[in-house]
Amino acid sequence: MSDRNRHIDQHVGDLLSGFIDGELTQQQRQLVTLHCDNCDECRENLAGLRELRERVGTARLSEVGEDQWRESMNDSTVELTRGIGWLLFIAGLLIVAGIGVGFFIFNPDIPVGMKLLIIAIYGGLALLLISVWRQRLIESKTDKYKDVEI
Amino acid sequence: MKKNDMRQQIAQLGNGAHALAIQLLGNTDDAADAVHDAFVKVLGKPMSYNAANGPFAPWFLRVVRNHCIDMMRRRRPGGADVGKLADHRPGPEASLEISQRDRGLQLALAKLTADQRQIIVLRDYMDLSYADIADVLEVAPGTVMSRLHRARMALKEELIQDV
Repeated sequence: MSDRNRHIDQHVGDLLSGFIDGELTQQQRQLVTLHCDNCDECRENLAGLRELRERVGTARLSEVGEDQWRESMNDSTVELTRGIGWLLFIAGLLIVAGIGVGFFIFNPDIPVGMKLLIIAIYGGLALLLISVWRQRLIESKTDKYKDVEI
Repeated sequence: MKKNDMRQQIAQLGNGAHALAIQLLGNTDDAADAVHDAFVKVLGKPMSYNAANGPFAPWFLRVVRNHCIDMMRRRRPGGADVGKLADHRPGPEASLEISQRDRGLQLALAKLTADQRQIIVLRDYMDLSYADIADVLEVAPGTVMSRLHRARMALKEELIQDV
């Protein structure tokens, strides 16, 4: 039912909540005030809703204070800067490694046999690392105990 | 908005955001993680908030709420475990701090639906306007008053039954 059609002798229902929250128009406020003057039920409801709002407003629904959230935010900043730090470090390392590999491969002073031997050692090491990384990735996806909380 | 102003506002909203997340996740630790993740997300991309689209508080709370919903989908398909919320007991230290009165309120809240718990926390605990609540919950502004009233009446009923 629209507010326009609400009559003064009809219970005002959800307007009571709007009334205590200060969210009604002047016309709606007048309707609630006039109705509550003559309706014990709505007057009691209004008092009950006020009491409820006061109770929720003064309750402690979270035990974490503002200072702790500030600390938590500092942690967030640390995490973020650490992430950016790692990203820059790895990017720099890859560029330096790429330049080094380029110099090594195209250096005519190093014999081909030596080049192949060193490539085999580092290539093998890279393959081993990739293999271990792949295995861990598969395990993390298929581990049936991964959601068990300790 | 300057990053320092944003940090200031987020710290002030932390407690309310945590209370909101508890209503969704039913667990203080998960809720703290959700709020912390929202901090990281928001502070990592401060430009994602556009002041022209509305105030900061509802926007931040929407980020927290959406993150909680993502966590619920990942951890508990089918929605929040209200039973877990009702059974949730704070640790020994927290127990000392929470008065019996608040404990009764928490238990009564736990018996409501997640939507009812959220709207009560947003209005009565965080004192958000109806327009801001509509923004956080992504519902039509015209429906907030009736939803809130139903939620309050349900909470009132639960509190009366517990007495």
